[in-house]
Amino acid sequence: MIKRNQPVLLERVNKMRQATNVGEYQEYQGFSGLLKAIEMEKEAILDELDLAHLRGRGGAAFPLGKKWRHLYGAKGDTKYIVCNADEGEPGTFKDKALLKHDPLSVIEGMVIAGYLFSAKAGYIYMRGEYLGIQKIFQEALDNAEKAGFLGENILGIPGFNYNITIISGAGAYVCGENSALLNSIEGKTGRPRVKPPHLADVGLYLQPTLVNNVESFAGIPVILREGGQAYRELGTEDGGGTKLICLSGHIKNRGLYEVNLGTSLQDILYSEEYGGGSSTGRPLKFIHFGGQSGPIGAVQHLEDCIYSYEGLWDKNLSIGSGAIVVMDDQVSIVDYLVQVAAFFAHESCGKCTPCRLGTTRILELLTKFNNQTAVVGDLERLEKMLMHVTNLSACGLGQSVANPMKSGLAYFPEEFEAGIREAVAPVKGGLW
Amino acid sequence: MSSLSLAEKEAIILANDSDPQRILNMLIAIQYGSEEGYIDEETAQLVGDHLHLSQARVYEILSFYAILKTEPQARYVLKICNSTPCLFTGGAMLAEVLETILEVPADEPTPDGLFMYHSIPCIGACDQGPVIKIKDTVFADLTEAKVYQLIDDLQRGCYQEL
Repeated sequence: MIKRNQPVLLERVNKMRQATNVGEYQEYQGFSGLLKAIEMEKEAILDELDLAHLRGRGGAAFPLGKKWRHLYGAKGDTKYIVCNADEGEPGTFKDKALLKHDPLSVIEGMVIAGYLFSAKAGYIYMRGEYLGIQKIFQEALDNAEKAGFLGENILGIPGFNYNITIISGAGAYVCGENSALLNSIEGKTGRPRVKPPHLADVGLYLQPTLVNNVESFAGIPVILREGGQAYRELGTEDGGGTKLICLSGHIKNRGLYEVNLGTSLQDILYSEEYGGGSSTGRPLKFIHFGGQSGPIGAVQHLEDCIYSYEGLWDKNLSIGSGAIVVMDDQVSIVDYLVQVAAFFAHESCGKCTPCRLGTTRILELLTKFNNQTAVVGDLERLEKMLMHVTNLSACGLGQSVANPMKSGLAYFPEEFEAGIREAVAPVKGGLW
Repeated sequence: MSSLSLAEKEAIILANDSDPQRILNMLIAIQYGSEEGYIDEETAQLVGDHLHLSQARVYEILSFYAILKTEPQARYVLKICNSTPCLFTGGAMLAEVLETILEVPADEPTPDGLFMYHSIPCIGACDQGPVIKIKDTVFADLTEAKVYQLIDDLQRGCYQEL
């Protein structure tokens, strides 16, 4: 039985001596989710997932039950299971902990998916910066196969043949986008595909494909073991379960934590159990949620904020990957956003023009504000450019560039205005 | 550390089943195993032949992914994270200190070919910044003094495995 405020995903992380040992994993209820799943009707598995209301933990927060049901209904004899372990979102290091310290939980989640969808092949695409962890994960895969949880006739079930292959990334943030990730697995450059079609219908090698994040897969065994309702009760109305959060920046206790969805943000920032307040002695100024592509909130406006999907949506914020990057009052929002813009300009894959050129133009404009060489009209140009890049880009990278910029502008407009050199005459003419 | 022989490169390719799906795994393993730290033309050709890919396809991949290099690198490539969590918690100091110690700008090897440094977006160690990464090893929670010490240790050959 699981209760609120107990570690669920990090339970074994803090206890296991050898993360890849199947016997030890089973001592901590490992593989009991899979054992339950194979006793259930497949429709009943989907019902439990719906009940659990787990939202995808990669950042998009799409209800996992719906995604799995879509793939279940997709036509095709060959279905692929893919785990997105490309974790490249700055401020995020949660998947690393699971991959390194509890790889078998991710494997168990992927095997349950393999069973449900009668898949033969699973892939885990792990970022190239985690090379050492790839070795640990491979050891976990080998051990799971030896113990009969992967390979041929898994658990003695005839025809339940399923294997998982590790594919390494090699340094491309855009490969965290699901269709780019699939292209990369196919041995191509990792540029996103045009959608629709949905990946659940036309995915890896043009077959129906499930792509979920590491943390999402790790939650699946818990849901089946404890029941969808029990899992849901760990969270709130709009999203069940616990969430791994990564605290970094000017916060005393930087690191990885697991919280119930519904925890107060003030607790996360200031209580000794979590953040412990400012590390610099200066007041905290703003928080960047969910990685570089997430929105920014001003600390002084977040006193009553609840860390949950709906709690953040109410404030025009979002959980995203779970990154919580906190900055103190000595950081200029414009200076901060220049670095964020530089990140996107660097990481745009170049396939679609709005993102390739737009990210560069945004960086140039923000740099002007930062150097106090912006001119009257630049603010409007910036807003228009943000709108273009959001609406015209082909994938989530370009579509989310404006999130931090727009929220930064909304909370701290005076810092942008201070970057405008008033002496210069207004520029006439079109606004792109 | 010496560069990989033809047989060793082929062994890496075969260990990955000559499978085009795992081309990145192979290229990284070969690159990190070589003293010059890059994929030369001969190696690109070798991988292409085994995987039945044209050299142009191999180079398309080499030029797309940031970790892969097509030019010789210094013996130790020091990677600094320039994403906001690291940069604003002391990371801005790193480039400055490295330039002072090594007397070369970013992306340029020192005359002895021993060091080179440059910024990369994120290495997943945001709670340990400032950080320097060399191959797969992260040196965390750095201060100016620790950077001097690290360079000194590297010069004295304390990290032969890197």
